[in-house]
Amino acid sequence: MTVRVGKPAPEFQTRAYAQGEIKSVALADYKGKWVLLYFYPGDFTFV
Amino acid sequence: MLAISVDSPFTHKVWQEGELSKMIAGGLPYPMLSDPGGRIGEAYGVYDEDNGVDIRGRFLIDPDGVLQAMEVLAPAVGRNVAEMIRQIRACQYVRENKGEATPAGWEPGKKTLKPGDELVGKVCEIWAPEMAF
Repeated sequence: MTVRVGKPAPEFQTRAYAQGEIKSVALADYKGKWVLLYFYPGDFTFV
Repeated sequence: MLAISVDSPFTHKVWQEGELSKMIAGGLPYPMLSDPGGRIGEAYGVYDEDNGVDIRGRFLIDPDGVLQAMEVLAPAVGRNVAEMIRQIRACQYVRENKGEATPAGWEPGKKTLKPGDELVGKVCEIWAPEMAF
């Protein structure tokens, strides 16, 4: 499956750190809102 | 806004408390997601299996869950936040104003285009390349 503009974004659910707590986050939690999802190579990287 | 890397939630916590909170008071005000094994990165086409990391990809998803914009950069190249915000505003504008399109370099308040029979071949009458900057 490829990601393509105009097609549904792949769903996911995973664990996250958010404001002091560890919780589960899914893309579906944000239905009805705009989402900016950004990947980065790793914590403590430099750019 | 959701950040995501292959690091565990505990590593996110340590980075947030040890370094990020020194750049932004209180740390990042949005969740930092964990992508163990790059499963989610794989689905988005940004998992680099040779290095075991998710490369610098950014995806804008609308309220219906449909992808509207994406960008992928080399690991050593940082993003342009102003351009990211401009794209969000442009995507929101065209969603709310059906039938209109935002030309290159559009910013809120600037002229939009209405693609159709009347405009075909006449963009040059109302838009000039200087307007892209």
